[in-house]
This record gives sequence, C-alpha cells and structure tokens, in this order.
Amino acid sequence: MTDSIVRTLDSVGNASYFVVALLAVMALFAVVTQKNMIKICISIAILGSSVNLFLVLLGYRHGGEIPIYFLKGAAETMVLPTPQCLTLTAIVIALATTALMLSLIILLHKHYGTLDIDEIRRLRG
Amino acid sequence: MWTQLDSGFGYWNVFVWLLFFVALSCFAVWIRSLGRTDYKRNTDQDEIYWSGNEVPDDGAEISVPASSSYWGFRVAMEPLYALLNRFHSGSASDYAGYFIVTTALAGLLILLGGE
Amino acid sequence: MNLSDHLPAFLVMIPLLGAFLTPLAASFGKTVRSVFFVLFMSLILLTGISICASTFGGNILVYVMGAENFSLTLPSGMSYPVRILFEIDAAGALMILCVAIAAFAGALFSVAYMDRFSGWKRFMALYFLLSAGALGMCATGDLFNFFVFVEVSSIASFGLVAFWRDKPEAIEAGFKYMLVSQIAAMLLLIAIGTLYGKYNAVNMGALSSMMRYGTLERIVLAILISVLAFKCGAFPIHTWMPDAYAETPSGVTCLLVTVSQASFYGLIRVCFSLFPGIAGGGMVAWILIVLGCMSMFFGVLMAVVQHEIKRLMGYHSISQVGYMLLAMGVGLLALGNGEKMAEYGLTAMKGGLFHVMNYSFYKALLFLCAGALYYATGTRDLDKMGGLARNMPWTAGMFVIAASAISGLPPFNGFMSKWMIYESSFAVHPILPAVAMITSVLTLASFAKVFQAAFLGPAKADFVAVREVPAFMLAGMAVLTVMTLLLTLFPGWFTGNLFEKAAEALLNQRGYIDAVLGGM
Repeated sequence: MTDSIVRTLDSVGNASYFVVALLAVMALFAVVTQKNMIKICISIAILGSSVNLFLVLLGYRHGGEIPIYFLKGAAETMVLPTPQCLTLTAIVIALATTALMLSLIILLHKHYGTLDIDEIRRLRG
Repeated sequence: MWTQLDSGFGYWNVFVWLLFFVALSCFAVWIRSLGRTDYKRNTDQDEIYWSGNEVPDDGAEISVPASSSYWGFRVAMEPLYALLNRFHSGSASDYAGYFIVTTALAGLLILLGGE
Repeated sequence: MNLSDHLPAFLVMIPLLGAFLTPLAASFGKTVRSVFFVLFMSLILLTGISICASTFGGNILVYVMGAENFSLTLPSGMSYPVRILFEIDAAGALMILCVAIAAFAGALFSVAYMDRFSGWKRFMALYFLLSAGALGMCATGDLFNFFVFVEVSSIASFGLVAFWRDKPEAIEAGFKYMLVSQIAAMLLLIAIGTLYGKYNAVNMGALSSMMRYGTLERIVLAILISVLAFKCGAFPIHTWMPDAYAETPSGVTCLLVTVSQASFYGLIRVCFSLFPGIAGGGMVAWILIVLGCMSMFFGVLMAVVQHEIKRLMGYHSISQVGYMLLAMGVGLLALGNGEKMAEYGLTAMKGGLFHVMNYSFYKALLFLCAGALYYATGTRDLDKMGGLARNMPWTAGMFVIAASAISGLPPFNGFMSKWMIYESSFAVHPILPAVAMITSVLTLASFAKVFQAAFLGPAKADFVAVREVPAFMLAGMAVLTVMTLLLTLFPGWFTGNLFEKAAEALLNQRGYIDAVLGGM
C-alpha cells in the first residue's frame, strides 16, 4: 500500500505542487467572489490547508521514513522534520483564527441579522 | 551637539529657533504696545466686530460644526472624493480583492523591473 | 548566571508570563490587578531600555532558544543554525524601545480608562499578548518565528478590536481586519515555505548569506512586501486601519500604532538584510516610494473630511506611514551606491527612523487624547463636541503638543524628521518633497479643525459637568508627551545614538549575517 503511494507520488513529480497552487487560487478566488461569510471562512480554511499541504510536501523525500529515531530506528532517508513542525504550528494558528472568525460571524449575524458581506458596511468612507 | 541636527544640506538647532521665536515675540509685543490706549470704554468702540452683524449674547448655538469646516475644499474636490468614497466601499470582499491585486501587481513589477 | 545575557528572552517571557498570570491577578480585585498590570509593563519597559542600551556600541545581541548555551548559534558543527534565535541589532532595539514605551503608556492609560467596563481579564491578557507579539517581531532572527509573532499579535489585535462586542461597528471592524489579515498571513507562510524549500533554512542571517537572486526570490520578495505593507497600512491596502483604530479601546490603539511599526520594521529588515540585491537601487525602491506618496496623499485627503475623531486620526496614520515608506524607499534607491548613499540615502534613512519613533509617540498620544475626550464626553463625533479646553486643560495642552508635532510645526520633533525626509527625497526628484509638504499642510489643516471643534468655541450645554480625566490617564499621556518633548529638545543626541546607529545596522548586512554564522 505505502509503496504504491510512494510510486504514485514519484510518477506525478511536481504535480502535487500544482494541486497546492490550484487550491490556493481557488480559495483566493472564492474569498473575493463569495458573499456568504461562512463560505468566506471556509475559503480561508482551504487557503490554510493548501499552505499546510505545501509545507508538508516540502519535507517529502523519496522513500523517506518518519524522522523519529526511537520509533523507527536507523533509516537511510528521513523526511525533513522542520516542515512538519512548521505545519503543526500553522495548524494550531489556523484553528485559533478559524474559531475566532466563526465567533465574529455569529456576533455579526446577531447584530446585523444577515450573513451577506455586502450588507455589513457601516464603516465606510 | 545634543540639540543640533545635520542633514548634509543644512542644519537645524532647536534653541536657535527658540531664540528667534522669543525675539520675534518681543517685537510683536512692542508693536502691540504702539496701539492706542485712549479709546472710549463701554461705548461702540469696545464692541467686537463681527462682519457688521449683531453679536449674539449666547454663542453656544452658532459654532461651526466640524463636518462643515473646509466645505469649499470638499466641494472643489468633489469628483476625487466621489472616487475615494467608492474605493472605501466598506465591503470586506473588495478589500480582500485590493490586497490580492496589489500583491499580484507588486510581483509583476518586481519580476519585470529587475535589471 | 548573568541576568543581562538573557534580556532578549525576558523581552518575550515577561509579557507571556503576564498574560498567563492575568486570570489569577485579576481575581484579587481592582488594586491588585492595576498594580500587576503596571508592574509588568514597567518590567517590559525596563527590559526594552536595557536592550537598547546594550546595543549602543554597535553590538548585536544573539540569543538562542533551547540550546545548552544561549550564544551557541551553530551546535555540533552544523553550518547553519537549526534553533530559533533572537537577533537584535540597533534597528531592532530602536523599535523595541518604541513598542515598550507606547505599551507602558497605553497600560497606564487603560488602568483608568477600562475601569468602567467589564472583561478586565480578557483585556489584560490580550494586551500582554499583543505586546509580546510586537516585541517578538522586532527581536526575532528567524522568518518562521516572525510569522508566529505576526500571528500572535494579529490574533490578539482581532480580539481587542472587537473588544466591545455589544457594538456592531467594533465587530465589523474586527472581522474586516481579520479577513484580509488571514489571507496576508497565509501568503506570508507560502513565501517563507518557498524560501525554506529552496534553501533549507528559515534563519534570516543564514538565508541572507545563501541568497541567490532569481525569479523565485523576486516573487517571494513581492509577497513579503505586499503582506508587510498591508500590516503597516500602505495606501491601496490600508482600509482596515481607520476602521480598526477607530473601534479599539484607546489604550490599545496606542499600542496598535507601534504594532504596525513592528511590521514596518519587518518590511525594512526584509528589504535591507534579506534581499538587498533585488531591493536596492531599482524597482522595489520605486514601489516603496510610490506606495509612500499614495499613502501620504490619499490618507490625508480622506482625513480632512472625517468628523469622527478616531477615524480621522486613523486616516492620518496612513499618511504618516507614507512618510516612512518614502524615506526608506529613498534609502533603498541609494543602496549599493556609496556616493548616493552618502549624499542623500543615509539622511533619508535617519529621517525615516526618526519619523518612526516620532510617529509612535505623538500618534499614540493623539489616540490617548481622543480616548480621554471619549471618556469625558461619551462621544467620538466632533460635531457634538465644543469648548472642552476649559474643562480639560491638561488634555488640551498635550493635544496641542501632539498635533503640532504631527503637523510638522517647528520646533517640534515631527518637523525635524519631515525636514530630513524633504531634504533627502529632493535629491531624487523634486515632486516627492512637494507631495510630502502638501500632505503636511493638509495634516495641519485637519488638526486645526479637530482642535477648533473639540476644544475651542463656546461651552456646550451638554458638557458643562465634564471634568478632567483621572490621574492615571493623564500619567499615560504625560509619558508620551515627555518623550515627544525630549525628542524635540535633543534631536542631535537621539539621531547620533539611535537613528544613525540603526540606519548603519540596517546597511550592515555582513554584520547581521556574521552575528549568527560567526564570520564564516
């Protein structure tokens, strides 16, 4: 199973970066075009996921093992540990911001009675 | 040299400025002292000149509110302000769009503008 | 153990500790929590001043987190640092000083200002986190760590912008800021990840020593510039700024001003230390100059017509950031050309850094004055105010000082930094100082309006009972007033010891790298 995944990943080469770019562009497009705030929040989460995917991909090495010595023992190649640490940090931050954003949306809905982002514009000019 | 600042083209010293300020203030006070002191108190000569109008007793209601100041400036610049107000539309998706466009533009300029 | 070796760690440790102790301290009543708040903030201030003092001789403080020895940048024969490390040179120390002083003043002010409201625990904890984020941004020598501190300060500021959650406008401002800020943060992470993917390092010194200037680096630089310009409020992407500044409690706005300055520090650090080869001399410098001119002009144009006091000041923040961007753009334009640098580049950078410090103090003071007016009258609308100078003489006096300083009236400090920027940008093109001067005139015009509307004129019937604000609020404002006056009276000392050193530290890329890699 794992081998087949590894083979597949090798055969696609840099295509996985293409997926990251596609996800990011989709998310950015959705943030600008969507009017429902919940959907905008989902787009931000997708953007965050694409970034996390990107970081994990950066650390991938062909046939690499997990970089934990006492679990796996000596290994020829290991995937890079640093991007995984970065990803963990980024996931925690994304969790916090998504939760905060959703709670702000709840409050906005309470105050304005709508989820349409174009109707929430008392601050302008 | 604690108080002096050099720009390479000239210098600035706070205390020189303050010295001039004091000297000019003395001059202004001297000019004021040349004014007439023999005007008649409690007559029309004592009245405030208010563009020839009656001076109202209670001024509280006739102050100019802040949103009326620079009315002329605002009217003269009306087209520009219409544009700017449209720009600050208040819609968060517009703002996100500005950010993305600015990033793209900056990237394009830096890519094309390199030596 | 020598305590002074660990100053950079204390810088972030004290506010984080404060944030976690807050629930405990706040449950012992009003006196204890106020003492706790001010005590921790003065500890931060003390640390900031000591750090600034220890970088005086051109030292670069390097502090490695989690190593056997705090100065061990390259453990066990590695050629690049693997641990998170703090690297503070004169430029970083200057920003730390600005943040620490403004945070202290804002805390003093908030002790009295927030007394009427509930939610003290949340407020204090977020305030500590916001200062931790801002100080960390100025101290860190690691790009990913920079991202983490940006996010710490951002999340804390979202919470503080939306602090009064019964006000729809506050929530709206918080949401708008958050939305664009999150996109920016994700792009920042993509940029940092890209650099990591290419160079296997996130340490700024190490990256800087390996940097080759290709297409990828240009894209990364563009993203970094755009994100950090957004955070410090440059023109087309400034829209969060007036909203957020207007709706935040005033003591926090005072700190938010310096947080945006921390982002500005990130911007110049990236341009001068990380990408000098791309940023120097060409397109990037012009991008900063154009952004600066647009921010100055359109920011002040929008400010002139506002009649809501804090929103007006928020637009002024944009125009003030424009001055710094212009100055740093001119500095970048001269980068790599010794003759131009000696002729006008260094003056521009000194002027820009001078303006950073001036701006942090007088702008923070203006926001505190606006907060005092709101505290006393209960309104932020200038149309409703009037004749308050009789009731609030101290606030009026300090407002005059701050307003004259921001409008660039001699002999105040704002005049001097602007003068240095005029003189140096004139050497690039005469139109740049022309835009800057028009901006200055309009700034004066709009602050004359604020002063006339709020403090002068006949007393209004509604505000007969208005009294001067409590002593703690005045003390917070007085700290910033004293700093403004010191900068006014001794510009030579500050320029020689702080701004010139900071400008030289920014230009000394080799020194920045060697402090980490040990002169390899």
